[in-house]
Amino acid sequence: MRRPPVHLLVLLLLIVGLLAACGSAPAAPVAAPTEAPVVEEPTEATEESTEAEEPTEATEEPTEATEEPAEATDEEPTEAPAVSEDDEYVFGMVLVGPINDGGWNQAHFEGGEYVEANLPGTRFIYIDKVNPADRPNVTVEQAVEELVGQGARFIITNSAEFADGTNTAAAAHPDIYFLHASGDGVLTGEAPENVTNLMGRMEYGKMIAGCAAALQSENGRLAYLGPLIDPETRRLVNATFLGAQYCWETYRERPVEELEFKVTWIGFWFNIPGVTLDPTRVATDFISEGYDVIISGIDTTEGLVEANKAAQAGQNVWAVPYDYIDACAQGEEICLGVPYFNWGPRYIEIIDEARAGNFMARWEWLGPDWSDINNLETSMIGFIKGAGLTEENGAIIDEFIAKLAEGDLQLFSGPLFFQDGSEFVAEGAVATDEEIWNTPQLLQGIEGQSAP
Amino acid sequence: MDQLTRDLASVLAAAAPLIFATMGALICERAGVINLSLDGTILMGAMAGFSLALAVNSVPLGFVTAALVGACFALVLCFLSLSLGQSQTAVGFVLALLGTELSSFLGAPVVRVPGPSVPFMPIPILSEIPIIGVMLFRHDLLIYASFLLVPLTWWFLFRTRSGLTLRALGERPEAAFARGINVTRWRYMACIVGGMLVGIAGAAYSLDLKQGWSYRHTFGMGWIALAIVIFGGWRPWRVALGCYLFAALEILALRSQGTLRTIPTQVFQVAPFVLMILVLALVNLIASPTMRRRIASLPKPLQSPVAAIVNRIAAPAPAALGKPFERP
Repeated sequence: MRRPPVHLLVLLLLIVGLLAACGSAPAAPVAAPTEAPVVEEPTEATEESTEAEEPTEATEEPTEATEEPAEATDEEPTEAPAVSEDDEYVFGMVLVGPINDGGWNQAHFEGGEYVEANLPGTRFIYIDKVNPADRPNVTVEQAVEELVGQGARFIITNSAEFADGTNTAAAAHPDIYFLHASGDGVLTGEAPENVTNLMGRMEYGKMIAGCAAALQSENGRLAYLGPLIDPETRRLVNATFLGAQYCWETYRERPVEELEFKVTWIGFWFNIPGVTLDPTRVATDFISEGYDVIISGIDTTEGLVEANKAAQAGQNVWAVPYDYIDACAQGEEICLGVPYFNWGPRYIEIIDEARAGNFMARWEWLGPDWSDINNLETSMIGFIKGAGLTEENGAIIDEFIAKLAEGDLQLFSGPLFFQDGSEFVAEGAVATDEEIWNTPQLLQGIEGQSAP
Repeated sequence: MDQLTRDLASVLAAAAPLIFATMGALICERAGVINLSLDGTILMGAMAGFSLALAVNSVPLGFVTAALVGACFALVLCFLSLSLGQSQTAVGFVLALLGTELSSFLGAPVVRVPGPSVPFMPIPILSEIPIIGVMLFRHDLLIYASFLLVPLTWWFLFRTRSGLTLRALGERPEAAFARGINVTRWRYMACIVGGMLVGIAGAAYSLDLKQGWSYRHTFGMGWIALAIVIFGGWRPWRVALGCYLFAALEILALRSQGTLRTIPTQVFQVAPFVLMILVLALVNLIASPTMRRRIASLPKPLQSPVAAIVNRIAAPAPAALGKPFERP
């Protein structure tokens, strides 16, 4: 009998060899923070995929998500050994994405850890990935029930989509306090009394981001990788645009008409295959269409990663990520900087108040600490300059930030018009907080959809 | 012109995982085994490859893992269908579902976590050639490998003795058996190698072209790969053409989104799949017996040239595809 061929194996070896060669070059950047919990997973996957006998694994798995935080806390509270189990104030967090996404969710998660580390007697628990793609059958209410079951007395929910869920859960648990980050239930009056709102004035961060993009761009073509369309994302796009326009005119001394600003919305805060546009694709497409700065508005870092690849391929492309202080790590050299949230300090104050029984329902929209926007103990938002920014442009950014800090630069001042030509802010006037918060449209001059 | 070359370059790159997947499926199907588990295998490969690469910070090990996972899936398929005599389609289909769910489940800890990727590697001198250099030589090793894989598969199938044997398994396994070939063992081999390629296709997504992992990350690519193999008539070059065509459609769909605003974005995402199905239907129509009758009713002088064209386009499936083989 003829034996099966060696050729097949040769073919295979050739391919594997080729691929193996990929790695001889230094492996591409990896996000440093919090990847530890993942380590053991993949080996199991490979061994077990042969036979379909999974159930034992299956039962162990789901509990892990809830066990993890407990593990994390076991190590930390050494600072406050005096507090007994019973006095421990447990606060929980419901996150829309994974805690280590290098973006929005990681910023929140680290805010929670910051509280636990700096407010003695507190313990942090969480449930992450509460979204239709990752946990199709889990609602915010269920996540809240779970956290309450574990003893949480204060609960943070971190996504605009969680508004209704948070309100319902809060109504069901009047003795537990809720913080709905990025929401406005208190402002609109839809939220029960035990809910408070907190958001950072990221508009400033985005203005700085837009300014950095306009300063560094070679051709004045800026692209914004947008998530879903709502008032929050619209006002952030507008702020980015205004910052870019200002710096383009003032510092680059170029006419406004030469600045191109395009938004493509992917449809959610991150990629959900089959539901959203693929941000990787959108980003590569921006680049091939000749946009040379990608400004990210989504929770994850595809914009930066793709721009980095293109830059390695010899194109002059830069990116501005979003949300998380270390987001630039995915592509240091082409990162112009990152506007980020720093939730910890305000979380501490609010949780401390709630623990002391002084909870107050507020709609808070906090700006940076203008004396030092990167002071991690006081500033709600900040902007870290990236290595992609030239020194000269870095100095201009500092100047721009100083101008914003002094308050004499009001970018949301008239005359400003919406895409459909209607007036947003009249000449001589400055938009009010509520007008900005509820931005109904993109500004004239921005290319992209205003409504879903 | 620059724009066009860059576009073509991105089409060539975007098709790389599909090339791996289709060549894997092609080898398997040429040996007479239909592997419907492609979609699940790609997802498992993507998940396993990414998680391992992330854990040990090594991209090559990620690919090796993905290949092994692919091989395991193929092995299960072979064992159940070839050794235990179950229906290949049924087993393949169930494996596809299993792979989808299992990958979501096991991959949960690494969902949307930033991770390593295949480093960019332009080929020094060649990448300076105008146009061709940009199109072909400014990619990474994975994509160069996809360029090589097509001629390699062709050479193996049509220029080597083993390739001939393999094709015989797909056309007339009895004849191969009569020539003293161990049909089952050969089919195992072909399928496992094919499965490895499919697994690599998965890692090609998660470690390169669609970096990272999330629930149903590669969404439907396995089914498209199966369709492309049919479209390409089980011939490597035509299958490759199909892959590039599909990649071009995808990029075109994304472009149109900017110009045709009023149409919901979902339409553009689905469009390439729909177009692929239409092309498939067209090809099958041309190959159908009805077409033969139509040709016969044509005026005499037209008949033979039309028939020649149709015969070129229509490519029949391997005759023994999906059929169990029993020792006579």
